[in-house]
Amino acid sequence: MKITTKFYGTMEVEDDKIIHFPNGIMGFEQYKEYALLYDEERETENSIFWLQSTEEETLALPIMNPFPLIKEYHPELEDAAIEEIGPVTPENIVLYTTITVPSDLTKMTMNLRAPIVINLTTKLGIQIIAENTEYPVKYPIYAIVEQNKEGGR
Amino acid sequence: MLALSRKINESIMIGNDIELTVLDVKGDQVKLGIRAPKAVPIYRKEIYVQIQEANQEAVTQSAEGVEQLKKFFQ
Repeated sequence: MKITTKFYGTMEVEDDKIIHFPNGIMGFEQYKEYALLYDEERETENSIFWLQSTEEETLALPIMNPFPLIKEYHPELEDAAIEEIGPVTPENIVLYTTITVPSDLTKMTMNLRAPIVINLTTKLGIQIIAENTEYPVKYPIYAIVEQNKEGGR
Repeated sequence: MLALSRKINESIMIGNDIELTVLDVKGDQVKLGIRAPKAVPIYRKEIYVQIQEANQEAVTQSAEGVEQLKKFFQ
C-alpha cells in the first residue's frame, strides 16, 4: 500500500510490513496501523527507527532498540499483555523503546517504562507498561549514546 | 461522574464482565480488586497519563530536528 510519511514523503510499503496495534499507542489510541521505517544504509547499533502511522502522516514515533545502550535493561512484561500479540518466541519478538528529543538534543530521553513490543509473525504490536516501577518514562540517554559511539570506534 | 458508596468486599459491575471490588481500606488508601477480560488493559492513571504525554511529545519532531538527530546517531 501507498503511505504518506512525515519524513520520507510518499512511499510504497508491502502489506505484510504493516504492524497492527489493537489498542493503538497511548496518547494516540485511535490509530492502529503502523509501518516500521528506517534508513537502511545507516543502520547501526544506535539506529533510530520510526513507527509511522499509515493513517495519519504527522504521526511518527522515533524508537530504538534499547539493549545495546542500556545493558542492564530487563523490562518485566505481564504475560496477559504479551498474549495480546499472539504466541511469541525469542525469534519473532522485537522490543523497541520510544525516544523524546527536545530541540536541545542533550536533553533527549528514552521511555524505559513502556516499551513497544512487536510480534513479527502475527504483525501485532502493543505498548506495554512494564512492572518495573523504578524505570523512568523519561530516562536521559544523550551521554549514554555518546559513550556508546566512542566505545564502538 | 457516578458516585457509589461501597463497603469492604462489596463490588460494582461495569458492563457484564468487569468487576471492581473494594478489598481493604486503610486510612486514605483503598485497595481495589479488578476482575476483567484479559483484553482490557488496566493501568494506574498517573502512569498512563505520563506515557500518553511522553508519546505525544515524542512525535513533535521537526524535519530539522530529525536531520540533527540522524547526524547524532551516525
